[in-house]
Amino acid sequence: MSEISKRAVAGVGVLVLLALPFYATGFWLQSGLFAMAAVIGAIGLSLLTGTTGQLSLGHAFFLAVGAYGYVWLSGPAGAADGLTGLGLPPLLAFGLAVALTGLAGGLLSPIAGRLRGMYLGVATLALVFIGQHVMLNAHTVTGGYNGRSVPPMDLFGFALADASPQGLLVLGVPFGGLERLWYFGLALVALALLTARNLLRGRPGRALGAVRDSEVAAAVMGVPVARYRSAAFVVSCLYAGAGGALLALVFRRVVPETFGLVLSIDYLAMIVIGGLGSVGGAAAAAVLVTLLPQVLTGYADDLPLLARAGSGAAGPTPGEAARYLYGAAIVLVLTLAPQGLAGLTRRRPRKTLQEHTP
Amino acid sequence: MTAAAAELRVDGVTVRFAGLTALDEVSFTVAPGSIHALIGPNGAGKSTCFNVLSGVYRATEGSVHYDGRELTGLAPHRIAGIGVARTFQNIVLTAGTVADNLMLGRHGLTTAGFASTALRLPKAVREQRRHRERAYEIADFLGIAAHFEQPVGPLSYGDRKRVEIARALCMEPRLLLLDEPVAGMNPTERLAMAATIAAVRAELGISILIVEHDMGMVMRLADAVTVLDFGRRIADGTPESVQRDPAVIAAYLGQQQEQQKEESA
Repeated sequence: MSEISKRAVAGVGVLVLLALPFYATGFWLQSGLFAMAAVIGAIGLSLLTGTTGQLSLGHAFFLAVGAYGYVWLSGPAGAADGLTGLGLPPLLAFGLAVALTGLAGGLLSPIAGRLRGMYLGVATLALVFIGQHVMLNAHTVTGGYNGRSVPPMDLFGFALADASPQGLLVLGVPFGGLERLWYFGLALVALALLTARNLLRGRPGRALGAVRDSEVAAAVMGVPVARYRSAAFVVSCLYAGAGGALLALVFRRVVPETFGLVLSIDYLAMIVIGGLGSVGGAAAAAVLVTLLPQVLTGYADDLPLLARAGSGAAGPTPGEAARYLYGAAIVLVLTLAPQGLAGLTRRRPRKTLQEHTP
Repeated sequence: MTAAAAELRVDGVTVRFAGLTALDEVSFTVAPGSIHALIGPNGAGKSTCFNVLSGVYRATEGSVHYDGRELTGLAPHRIAGIGVARTFQNIVLTAGTVADNLMLGRHGLTTAGFASTALRLPKAVREQRRHRERAYEIADFLGIAAHFEQPVGPLSYGDRKRVEIARALCMEPRLLLLDEPVAGMNPTERLAMAATIAAVRAELGISILIVEHDMGMVMRLADAVTVLDFGRRIADGTPESVQRDPAVIAAYLGQQQEQQKEESA
């Protein structure tokens, strides 16, 4: 694809996304927002695993820190159910939740800097289980097994929540919480995509790529390898924090079950399907992996072989079917297109040049 | 150039790997601005020596000083900061374009951090532009400017060798360590590379320590030669004196004499 047609496609895509709340139903907006949260989280993991070559199975833990961090920071203090909170303005709480997740990643940086690749993956696996334990037992902060409800986003007194008393209408379309949260999510996704792209094209991105390709060469070129590994970890946590907090806003209730090992694996699936190291690919695959179960659930009645969840009928539930499908997608990607979705859009290298390679 | 080339002093360096002595009390001095060759048969310890100089391996005993500073025990990225750059025997480039690789060489000379790069602050953008211009100059000097924006993967072997040298030069080093820069090249490419190395020394005035098997090239280029065999220094001096040294002939050229004897027999 030429540069101009690429830009045209991107421009049309942006317009469609901006116009969507005027046409789409709540189901689609919710699914879309869910995908946006995944896109932000997947970009973070892509920087860590794809660019730096460091595996993390603890991404679900950091998403949880972002989600619960936002809820606790913005939640009302001294509620009747014994839950604590700081009652901060939602936007401030959102920013602080992202910073808190970065801090949590920073606490792990001595480990993240020293362990390489797979070994970091095993170390971060423990975080998921520690996280589950804390979420289930730190009752006053997390609400335990039943979780706690999420205070809605509020931008300068303009609530991004449902059932707005003003009954806001934009161009004749009722603009409820989902519609407004949609634009907040879009802005976050744009910020995440831009910052990640800038990072990759600049000095830090080159250093991280060098650490992945050859630790020795990176060090000899003047890159402090351990420090850059730690930094990549913290940066990936910042993205996870933002993704997690957005996820909380979309779900409107956070529960420990959401942030299990399966979520970490889902994110790994996203960056593998997207093509390791590609920000755009990771984002596209995040949309695919999150929307697939949603779409299958929404249209379970119309699709053959699918059983409605909880109906007891024979056949896979939509959630299971989605897992089979993207399990198959991973196998297909690894065997047929190792560069992932990103590789499919890239121009093939010129064959004439390749022939000279010994 | 920020500072002039200085003397590299290697003093009684010994490296042992689990009972195997790879380097045994090796000492030599690289004079400022000279081309110094490190030669010896396979397994003589030349690459081990390079790894000690660049901080990849730690010497069991002995010391390395550059410009009065002790390098032994310093992390590789600190040694890079002092002005010591190296290339690898088997080309080690990172994915991306030639420009990406050369800009990696500028890492220690630039300061843009995560935040300023992610937000594209004017300071970071300006810095990147300025250093990219210098990287292009260096690519031009090495004759690879035409490939500046191209990915390194499909480049020819000789060009990738040049990218590696250009990347090392992008660090603006005062001492350049070249590990077999003409290995695997045909005679024409070898001559061109020898001319390039001579030009690097002439234009930049830096010291060059070179590991090489091509004796003809060593004798033409080098001001001084250190010969290693089984981890020990067996000769050190001008190319002419080393060539006449009986120990060198026995270790290095002796095999050829034996072959000749076998052939004549």
